[in-house]
Amino acid sequence: MTQPLISVENLSIKFHTDEGLITAVDKISFDIAPGEVLGLVGESGSGKSVTAKALMQLNSSNTVYTDDSRITLQTDDGTIDILELKKAKELNLIRGGAISMIFQEPMASFAPAITVGKQMVEQLMLHSSMTKKEAREHAIDMLDRVGISDAARRFDQHAFEFSGGMRQRAMIAMALSTKPKLLIADEPTTALDVTIQAQVIDLMKDLVEEFGMAILFITHDLGVIAQTADRVAVMYLGELVETGSVRQVIREPAHPYTQGLLNALPKLEKLDEPLTPVPGDIPSPLERPSGCVFHTRCSQFIEGTCDASIPSVTALADGHAAACFVVDQAVRGKTEVPA
Amino acid sequence: MFQFAQFAATRFGLAIVTLLLVSFIVFSLMELVPGNCAERYLAFKNTQGSQITVEDIAAEEKRLGLDRPFIVRWGSWVGNVFLKGDFGESCILRLSINRLLGEKIFLTLGICFTSLLFAYLIAIPFGMISATSTSATANNAVRFVSYLGLAMPNFLLALMIMLFSTVVFGDSLTGLFSKEFRDAPWSYDRVIDFLSRAWLPIFILGWSATAFALQTVRALMSDEIGKLYVTAAKARGVSGARLLWRYPARHALGPIVNSLGFDLNRVFNELPIVAVILTLTEMGALLLESLARSNDQQLAGAIIFILTASIVFLNFITDMLLAVLDPRVRRSVMGG
Repeated sequence: MTQPLISVENLSIKFHTDEGLITAVDKISFDIAPGEVLGLVGESGSGKSVTAKALMQLNSSNTVYTDDSRITLQTDDGTIDILELKKAKELNLIRGGAISMIFQEPMASFAPAITVGKQMVEQLMLHSSMTKKEAREHAIDMLDRVGISDAARRFDQHAFEFSGGMRQRAMIAMALSTKPKLLIADEPTTALDVTIQAQVIDLMKDLVEEFGMAILFITHDLGVIAQTADRVAVMYLGELVETGSVRQVIREPAHPYTQGLLNALPKLEKLDEPLTPVPGDIPSPLERPSGCVFHTRCSQFIEGTCDASIPSVTALADGHAAACFVVDQAVRGKTEVPA
Repeated sequence: MFQFAQFAATRFGLAIVTLLLVSFIVFSLMELVPGNCAERYLAFKNTQGSQITVEDIAAEEKRLGLDRPFIVRWGSWVGNVFLKGDFGESCILRLSINRLLGEKIFLTLGICFTSLLFAYLIAIPFGMISATSTSATANNAVRFVSYLGLAMPNFLLALMIMLFSTVVFGDSLTGLFSKEFRDAPWSYDRVIDFLSRAWLPIFILGWSATAFALQTVRALMSDEIGKLYVTAAKARGVSGARLLWRYPARHALGPIVNSLGFDLNRVFNELPIVAVILTLTEMGALLLESLARSNDQQLAGAIIFILTASIVFLNFITDMLLAVLDPRVRRSVMGG
């Protein structure tokens, strides 16, 4: 197996707040291989964005990473321990260099009073030895590559003069201009309408192949995941409940939460039937349930087990794993019967 | 560039129209004051012992042109003001208002603009520090000082400083000049003397303006810093002072520039009271004197008009600044 590009081990993220220390992410581990697209799925508040921001140390100043949390990135010049980076200069290696990020709201992620071109050139100047003129040419070239027509004129415009889809394209152009190893896409298509969404996803897929970079694709939309990702990680209340290839997770979801999410999708053949939502709401991070965090909403809740202890990760098949007592018992049952 | 010139010209035209309207309102207000210049002057003479008759008043009215219709008189007043910069004669003192105001205009406007400058020179850096710093002590200090500034009336502050300096230095620091320089011609020593006294009204007027501006800057900056484009810039590797000035600070500047005109207005409002307490001989004191005591409508009208004109002028400047600073404003006013 090739060495992972980025490796997250035991990542726990807590926030200092007026109500005390709140756990947002609890001991999660995952890897992303070079060129791989990992989809990170979960409801709002499940800790997806916080996890993604941790990869670039972008969380606010009240964030605490526990001592055993480790995020390591393989670069051409060796291994970088991301959470150990302190100085702005060191952080520059990852921020906009080895890792780029695009956000949910393309309008809000451009500074309103600075031209798109100037923001692109600024990033290029920070991360390469290009002259201003070269940076300008490269930026225009990138805008052209993502399908923005009349790129030279657009370069001197502001984000508010772009349409929604064009802004996200420009955002992608800017993110890829420094040839990062990893692109973090935080719900990049959520704010776009469906046709534009499809265009942006196609564009991203093309560019991934062309640039050979890995993507961490964050979304709550399983449909988008099925179209884009190689592997999926499902998050619930700051925990990773299931990981596996797209095929495994979507065809044979193991964790009751993943099953619930998939059941909640409208089905084409039964459009008249009411939707089946996952019952209940995601609990407040202030009152994390004991035992398995999902037990308060789980249809297969086992009293005395699920609310008492924390399930460990059970391997199901090659690369497919879930953290659930029900799954664990089923697997044990299978292995125990023949013996 | 041509578009900008066009925009500036339009704004300038609008400013002139505003001034005309203002002049009309001011002139009408002065007209509403019972009695007119002729009666006032003769009444004043009466107190000096001269006998006056109704015929005297009529003759005086004719001499001053007060028998003409209101609109005509406004027209000639505004014409003189705009074309010659001439505000006519004071009702009571029978002196040219221009001579009467003379350097006072510049002293007054100087004091007001300087206190505004002083306010923003303090408010912008401290507001930014307070918005970006996570230190609770620094934040509380800024908050305490600015609430104190907002809550304490200017006249109280002025009285306290006067009391303090009288007790400690034996000089109440009132007036704009010390005795020996009051009517002396301008000289180097007189300038020094002026500066040694002018800091007090500047400080007092600037005090509450600073407190207010500090709160504005702090609120705007905290708001901008939390915005996604700042995080996005950080994610691209922009850091330190560059991140702060180029991103949130630049975008917080618009509303701050916008509040300049409003702040100048507040400073003008407070000026007469401060002027009375510090026994300043500048325009604010003269306004109070002419309005409240001697009922000199010509003089009061001239002063109010000058103060309003300077606000209109400042608003014109801030409009220009905003268009330069913010491309969205530029586009909305100039198209394309």
